[in-house]
Amino acid sequence: MQYIVSFILAIVSYMVIDNVILSRYFGICSFIGVGNKIKSALGMGLAVTAVTLIAALVCWPLYNFILVPANMEYMETIVFILVIASLVQMVGFFIKKKSISLYKTLGIYLPLITTNCAVLGVVENNMAYDFGRSMANALGTSLGFILVIFLFACIRIRLEGSNLPKAFKGVPIALIVAGLMAIVFMGLGGIVDLGSWGLI
Amino acid sequence: MDILWAALLMLGLAIGLSCLIVLFSIVFHVEEDPRIDCVSKMLPGVNCGACGYAGCHDLADALVNGEVKKVTACKAGRRDKNFDPIVEYLKTTPGPNGTTVEVTL
Repeated sequence: MQYIVSFILAIVSYMVIDNVILSRYFGICSFIGVGNKIKSALGMGLAVTAVTLIAALVCWPLYNFILVPANMEYMETIVFILVIASLVQMVGFFIKKKSISLYKTLGIYLPLITTNCAVLGVVENNMAYDFGRSMANALGTSLGFILVIFLFACIRIRLEGSNLPKAFKGVPIALIVAGLMAIVFMGLGGIVDLGSWGLI
Repeated sequence: MDILWAALLMLGLAIGLSCLIVLFSIVFHVEEDPRIDCVSKMLPGVNCGACGYAGCHDLADALVNGEVKKVTACKAGRRDKNFDPIVEYLKTTPGPNGTTVEVTL
């Protein structure tokens, strides 16, 4: 019971309190790049989720059962990048087959998930955790990514029809909105006390 | 000695992952107009993005589908090397539905 509760709390914590975009500043490129349409934002969120989850699932055993026994921890970054790049390629094939329109909307941002530091950041952080917590980290982080990119896309759709000063149109107001969202999410800090559940 | 093991590890991992990618590309294969591949080979292939598309393959797709009418949308190509052969090729080669595409310089 304790384990399940702490798993859920860890997911909530990684999702809203330690949000990957708004408080750790990972994955900003795709956040600004495809966060202007709801459909492409959700597609991007799901693609990042798939890559993050499978990468965390593959990299944790790879690190703990191959790299650590062989004393090759220094190889972790290049090994993780290799795994992530291959996964992105496979997800790309999958999306192209299932929805060519989504593939076209995501465009260059789909292969760029390879260099999305949200994925590498999760995988690198997981090396210090046990398997359950690293899964909670991957799940929570990717849910947080979807949540924030979706909210951001909704706000940007509304901004397109609004009467803005010319200098703020497009990306400048989007950056200001991102900053305001970060302040809002900062207000959520401390609602889950991971320490009392033995998670930190 | 360590560096040998490290290289071996990467080699093994790369072979395993590339086998998986090949498997995926076969399972999720999408039928494409064969002209797109030919046109993207005739483009300079620098993937600069100056045409407004993500890469040369995307511009070739747009040319074959008639989205782009002028082959000079490509900023990196040269007339004798890239543009003339593409215009010639698209004029003479019919697609799967039997029609040819007219593009200009």
